[in-house]
Amino acid sequence: MAELTAVREPSPFGVTSRKLGIWMFIVADAATFAALLFAYGYERVANPDWTRPFSFWPSITNGIVMTVVLLTSSLTIIAAVLAAQAGRKTSALRWLGATMLLGALFAALHLREWIVMIGDGWRPFRNPLGGTPLVGATFFSITGLHLLHVVTGVVVIGVIALGYRRGRFEPGHLETVGLYWHFVDLVWMFVFPLVYLMNMR
Amino acid sequence: MKRYVIVWLCLLTIVALEVAVTLSHPPAGWLLAGLLMLAFIEAALGLLYFMHLKYERRSFMWSVILAVVIAIVLMDHFWLDAFRLLHQRISAP
Repeated sequence: MAELTAVREPSPFGVTSRKLGIWMFIVADAATFAALLFAYGYERVANPDWTRPFSFWPSITNGIVMTVVLLTSSLTIIAAVLAAQAGRKTSALRWLGATMLLGALFAALHLREWIVMIGDGWRPFRNPLGGTPLVGATFFSITGLHLLHVVTGVVVIGVIALGYRRGRFEPGHLETVGLYWHFVDLVWMFVFPLVYLMNMR
Repeated sequence: MKRYVIVWLCLLTIVALEVAVTLSHPPAGWLLAGLLMLAFIEAALGLLYFMHLKYERRSFMWSVILAVVIAIVLMDHFWLDAFRLLHQRISAP
């Protein structure tokens, strides 16, 4: 039976393989967002005609509301995990529902902002103010990738909630999806100041 | 739960500080430095408390943090080129 020894090795970090897996994804995804933000920084420094598209009202105000919504959703998913770990299934499901609602609200606010900007003539390859088109390119690519993460998160939380209600998933699954959701929140902590506040007129 | 609510309030306060710093219209370099510092404090709070890294094994915590830090440091090599272009640039038409 010596050949089975490696299979029975305990986790080197004392975490479940599920948690180790999501952390490996988070590290890789953090590098992806960092690369995008670095590229944005490079373009920003290197371009002489960089335009600042955002005024305090309504763009930055909308961004502040989005930030508060996302931060609050991190709190509600923690409440869901704590309730699940305490065996309070109904409460956990309610908190998961609240997290999904807040995530959907964030996505709706973001899409509304995109629609207004597109209405004003902003495109990934066009700047209506006459400066470099890279402003739109970096804005739509960075916020678009983040928005994709938010929408994916809302769907995955829904799938996990459904499975948890049916007894297919356990509190550990909620913790794993919670880690992903906190990561999405953490990325926004850099996107909001660097992409929005640094571009306020 | 009380601990998490306190962290959440701290994060909201940092967001308010970020907005206040921006509204004071400091030079771009100072604004960037200030916003980045506040964002890293926010990220640290999120990682340590919301993502529970504080309660994981130290070896795990440092493996995760070092992996991201090394990736970010390796990305820094092209700033020289960005600043070269900054000093070369011509005025916008």
